[in-house]
Amino acid sequence: MRKFVIGAVSAAMVLGLAACGSDSDDGDGGGDALDGKGKTLDVWIMKGTNPDAKPFFDKLNAEFEKKTGAKVNIEEQQWESAQRKFTTAIEGGPDQVPDVAEVGTTWVPQFAETGGLVDVTDQVKEAGLDQDLVEGLKDAGTLEGKQYGMPWYAGVRGLVYRKDIFDKHGLKPPTTWEELRDVALTLKKEEPDMISFPVAGGAEMFAMPFVWGAGGEPAVQEGDTWKSAINSPESVEGLQFYTDLATKDGLSPAKVTTWREDEVAQEFTKGNVAMTISGNWTPKTFIDEAPELEGKLGAAPIPGKDGGMSPSFLGGSYLSTFDSDKKELAWEYVKMATTGKYAAEWAKQTNYFPGTNTELEKIAAEGDPLVEPFAKQMLEAGATVPKTTSYGEIQASQVVLKLVQSVLKGDQSVQEAADKAAGEMDDIFAKSE
Amino acid sequence: MKESIAAEAALAPPKEPSRPGRASADAARRRKRLVTVTRPWLLLAPSLVVLAGLLLWPLIEVGKLSLQDYEVKFGGGVGTWTGFDNYADLLSNDLLWRTVLPNTAFFAFACVILTVGFGTLVALLLNRLGTLWRVVCSTAIMAAWAMPAVTGTYVWVWLFAPEDGLMSKVAGGLGLIDPETTNWFTERLGFYAIATLNVIHHGFPFVAITVLAGLMTVPKELYEAGMIDGASAWQRFWRITVPALRPIFLVVTILSTIWDFKVFTQIFLMPGGSGSNEEVMNLGVYSYIEAFAKNDYGAGAAAAVMLTLLLIAITLVYIRTLFRQGEEDL
Repeated sequence: MRKFVIGAVSAAMVLGLAACGSDSDDGDGGGDALDGKGKTLDVWIMKGTNPDAKPFFDKLNAEFEKKTGAKVNIEEQQWESAQRKFTTAIEGGPDQVPDVAEVGTTWVPQFAETGGLVDVTDQVKEAGLDQDLVEGLKDAGTLEGKQYGMPWYAGVRGLVYRKDIFDKHGLKPPTTWEELRDVALTLKKEEPDMISFPVAGGAEMFAMPFVWGAGGEPAVQEGDTWKSAINSPESVEGLQFYTDLATKDGLSPAKVTTWREDEVAQEFTKGNVAMTISGNWTPKTFIDEAPELEGKLGAAPIPGKDGGMSPSFLGGSYLSTFDSDKKELAWEYVKMATTGKYAAEWAKQTNYFPGTNTELEKIAAEGDPLVEPFAKQMLEAGATVPKTTSYGEIQASQVVLKLVQSVLKGDQSVQEAADKAAGEMDDIFAKSE
Repeated sequence: MKESIAAEAALAPPKEPSRPGRASADAARRRKRLVTVTRPWLLLAPSLVVLAGLLLWPLIEVGKLSLQDYEVKFGGGVGTWTGFDNYADLLSNDLLWRTVLPNTAFFAFACVILTVGFGTLVALLLNRLGTLWRVVCSTAIMAAWAMPAVTGTYVWVWLFAPEDGLMSKVAGGLGLIDPETTNWFTERLGFYAIATLNVIHHGFPFVAITVLAGLMTVPKELYEAGMIDGASAWQRFWRITVPALRPIFLVVTILSTIWDFKVFTQIFLMPGGSGSNEEVMNLGVYSYIEAFAKNDYGAGAAAAVMLTLLLIAITLVYIRTLFRQGEEDL
């Protein structure tokens, strides 16, 4: 009996497969399109960037199938566990890696080093795309002249504030660090129930603009090797200013010491925060979650020390292809998703910026006051962290956060904490040599 | 083992015995002995195979990994043998001796004592209750047990959230703390006090139910005899209950020790517990960061092996002392 059932099931499966095969014969497959009949691309996408990603991929995948005959299998991954999952798949080799995957820019060095990612520099040139990519973003996924995938979308942090509160007290968004401090002090006095400027110990990219803004760097390259610079006079000056906002001026209460970025965002939607560093993708989500904030938000670039802008981390995701037996087909898919209408559509749905200048300029030209300041920050003052596997490990070990938290707790002075962090960074750099 | 049986069987028949009776009796005895020796192993074989596959093999792999410098490569990583370098690095690490080990040990010690103590008290209470209330209370306890560690941790964090949490509001209202400048999570003691509450809350139901099961097997006559002899409740507990339940206490203490030493989730999910506050790191988080954040799988494996050895040592000491006490009493 059991044998019979198994036989019947496998027969049905064979028939089913055959049916699938004949279906895809209808695809037009004309022109120079690749023949993907009967093939399925495995694509890994990060969950949460687009809360409802299904309609987007249904459309994209249908068009891809029409063009190449290949089906696409989308698998959503969690940010928290994705890096481990990728590592395991890479260990497994060509059979286990996805054909196409969304890869965070800071992961590119680590994955590329294993030999799993495909260098697509020539294909990008061939397709005439190399000139149109946003420079900072292209740079983030390029190692020793080899580009590992196409920039897909990107984000940058700026200043988000409560316009209604600012208007009430006649305040303007700050343009220098001193103004930032003055505005926050006024807010603290006038709105004692609100946090005037959260110095969040769990948000690395809140602290970095002050390091860069003072002319510092987390680490610098000397020839082939990297050396920490987080304890340089410039870096320390920036960190001193940033942490003083909490420890000296009391602009950020003790509870904020361990807050991560999502916790700041949560408090902002509850109306408890007056001004904060925040991503370009956040204002729209704030309004979605708290509709009463509609029309009450303002955005500005992060002020520079004495005017201008402080550089802010330019982060994003690549669509990269792994070294599987469907490389060519995978590259077709990447091209389709990261250029033209699909790139624009994805950026729009997710509130991120697209990776090509053409699309980015279109968005900047719309003149949305909650978008334009970020576009300016991205185009003029975007910064990247050192592009090495080691720096990825430094970030994962939370070296900068340890520094900030120990200063906020009052355990160490900024210089002491920075010296310790620098030592830790150099240990990790030394290990990889 | 199987081969030897086959060999025995093959060898036995062709032997042409000169004195048939004695030789065949010899052979039969030998075969019987062989069966006695091999049968338990044959019966155990299926579970041993499963255990070896699921536990022993990973253990060996971790042991191997701890002696290597492992690099992830596409299609299979490369391990370079480095001898005991990972252990040397680990043991010469200041952070381990100054922060990680003391945190782990004191935390586990406190958790075990309090969990077993509190669990026993609850068991004694349950034992005195009538059927209805016993069912009600056990159900409530089971609910605490059934709560996933992740959920439980978030509830405790939420209760103690600085400035906004219930506990902070109460303490602030009583004038015990200044909510705006107090963050319990950033201080070692506060952090671990909250973590201890969390672990006890999650761990005491197991102790309570197990001890209750034991209590129900203690013959009532012993207590009656004790009462007739004029023993107080205190004396009855220490002279009758505790000795009768020694094996049960042994089991719950060993299990609690093992669980509390390797606590990871409850620490990792607390504010600052995932590594951004070095002061509160424990061995679980430390080895996780070494292995997965720094991609140094060898160092992470070495830390895991150390933890295993530590646990085996502690368990051995426990078993020895408890059994020795048992022998002295006899």
